[in-house]
Amino acid sequence: MNQNTDLLTLRSVSKSYGTVPVLHDIDLSIRDGEFLTVLGPSGSGKTTVLRLIGGLEPLTAGEIWLDGQEISRMPINKRPFNTVFQDYALFPHMTVSGNVGYGLSVRHIKRKEIASRVSQALELVQLGRFADRFPAQLSGGQRQRVALARALICQPRLILLDEPLAALDLELRRQMQEFLKSIQREIKTTFLFVTHDQEEAIGMADRICVMQAGHIRQLGTPHELYYKPNCEFVARFFGENNLVAGKLGPVQGEQRPIETALGRLVCSVSGQPHLKAAADGASAFAAFRPEALRLADANDGDNRFSGVIADLAFAGSSTVATIMAGADNAAQRLRLRMPSRIDGSILKSGETVSLCFAPHEGHLVLA
Amino acid sequence: MSALPRPSTIFLAAITSLVAVLLYSPLFVPIVSSFFIISHGNVDWSSPTLSTYVALAGNHDILAALRTTLIVGVCTVILSVVSGTLLALYYHGRRSGRSVLQFIIFLPFLMPPIISGLALLIFFREIGLERSLLTVVIGHTVFVLAIVYRTVLMRLQSMSRTLVEASYDLGATGWQTFWRVILPNLSSAMVGGAILAFALSFDETMITILVTGTQSTLPVRLWAMMRLGFSPDINALVALILMFTVLLCVLAARFLIPRQMATERN
Ligand SMILES: Nc1ncnc2c1ncn2[C@@H]1O[C@H](COP(=O)(O)OP(=O)(O)OP(=O)(O)O)[C@@H](O)[C@H]1O
Ligand SMILES: [Mg+2]
Repeated sequence: MNQNTDLLTLRSVSKSYGTVPVLHDIDLSIRDGEFLTVLGPSGSGKTTVLRLIGGLEPLTAGEIWLDGQEISRMPINKRPFNTVFQDYALFPHMTVSGNVGYGLSVRHIKRKEIASRVSQALELVQLGRFADRFPAQLSGGQRQRVALARALICQPRLILLDEPLAALDLELRRQMQEFLKSIQREIKTTFLFVTHDQEEAIGMADRICVMQAGHIRQLGTPHELYYKPNCEFVARFFGENNLVAGKLGPVQGEQRPIETALGRLVCSVSGQPHLKAAADGASAFAAFRPEALRLADANDGDNRFSGVIADLAFAGSSTVATIMAGADNAAQRLRLRMPSRIDGSILKSGETVSLCFAPHEGHLVLA
Repeated sequence: MSALPRPSTIFLAAITSLVAVLLYSPLFVPIVSSFFIISHGNVDWSSPTLSTYVALAGNHDILAALRTTLIVGVCTVILSVVSGTLLALYYHGRRSGRSVLQFIIFLPFLMPPIISGLALLIFFREIGLERSLLTVVIGHTVFVLAIVYRTVLMRLQSMSRTLVEASYDLGATGWQTFWRVILPNLSSAMVGGAILAFALSFDETMITILVTGTQSTLPVRLWAMMRLGFSPDINALVALILMFTVLLCVLAARFLIPRQMATERN
């Protein structure tokens, strides 16, 4: 297992259902052994990507490569991938061990070997005691684990999971997230995990692939997506963010100013050549996280502006202020997040405050 | 349990029982009277007896007819279950011509039996097929096919598509998927359909009369007996057929209960 070699590559993959295009020219490389999460709003094409890789749907255009071999037209039952379906798709007429052993028995593997591998797989998902039950006699979380064991037992190169936790309640979902992650570490198999829940994505993924309207918008670590979103969609979709529209000024070393309704804001462009290369006067957004925004003191010179606190919300460990800034203190809505204090917030609703954020905590996004 | 106010519940119950009594009480008359002797056209209510049943058991014509009925029934069930299942699978596979096909399957079941029977009769004559038990079996199969087809198709449609996908995904071939996933999930619907088919074949009369050769089935025999006059055996025979049919329907209902409920119970 080497996290740096590509296991599976999609090249210019497109998919249409009839005349309706659903995926547009997708390029995606999945690394061997990684936990890759596909994240996107409903209808963005996540399931479709999974079904194309699994071979459940034919490609409209493009190619899929596995280990330097094209598999675009390889039939589903020959692909070394297994899927955990959202509705589990357990065979209702088979016991748990029948279900788990299915992938081996259709390959005519000896009964004795099947039995021992089934019990191993059931141990792995902690369901040893349930071998003789039928799926209808299991809870949702248990069914989920049977589906996982059934997929694992064939030792696939890649496990495809389509929102496997969507049907579970919050508590169970947390448990299963940890459980999945620990199993993935244990068996070192590549996981491709679809979800529309970004907390789930952040918590589990090595890398996240953000999709929207049939396009991949960004692929990167949760940290990269959070601090260096490459487009407005990702900046808004992934975590809470403040976006202020403006026009780019000339590059100044590793920083670049942007003229906005809040005045001139300076943001870091370090390590992002496309932001350095963008033309002067191009439309863009300054993006800064609520936790990067703070009350300015006398020493702060950069990125300083004033605003009115419109609302204060206590959210446990942190307190979130909604701030109106810009012309007439009404044009721009911003959020500020600060740690909560036991003796009440230092902010007061209706107060006019002076705010700022550090240039290295600001980021530019082209419009 | 229901949101209806009490008086209307009572009213509904009254109407329902009235309809039930009016519709179904005639069915009980032959059953009851089969246990009494009829002399000079009047039922002798004084002494219940099983003599009519004993007479029936000694009636070779009737026993032969019963044998014929069973042979026809079993053959019809086999033919209709196999072809009904295949047709349902074809329809479910979204292949071409499916709605025309479905219409044709339903036609003989919906048309008056005499029309179906005549059409078959003419067809057999045209292709030179002698009237025999074979033509009866074909006629019954054409008639009951719709029931088996419908039963199996409904089960197919309620089966999650991902079951089949999961089977392929786990490496099974099409053939393995059919035998190990699709068929087991259809089996109870097939058994239910088979029982209904048998029940229908068992008392099918009109088509049988038209397309049979020299042998007659139980209902046809009954029909012939009736023309000669009303004899006590008829009561017994009707009672027997009635009980048998009811038994079959109860059995069929058993197998057609949705799978979920059936598994939850055990
Ligand atoms: N079999 C199909 N026929 C036609 N259109 C389809 C089909 N399956 C999906 N689509 C369309 O393709 C688009 C992408 O669907 P997909 O199921 O991949 O979305 P998704 O990202 O998985 O959404 P969700 O989060 O709701 O599951 C949707 O607009 C959907 O309507
Ligand atoms: Mg989906």
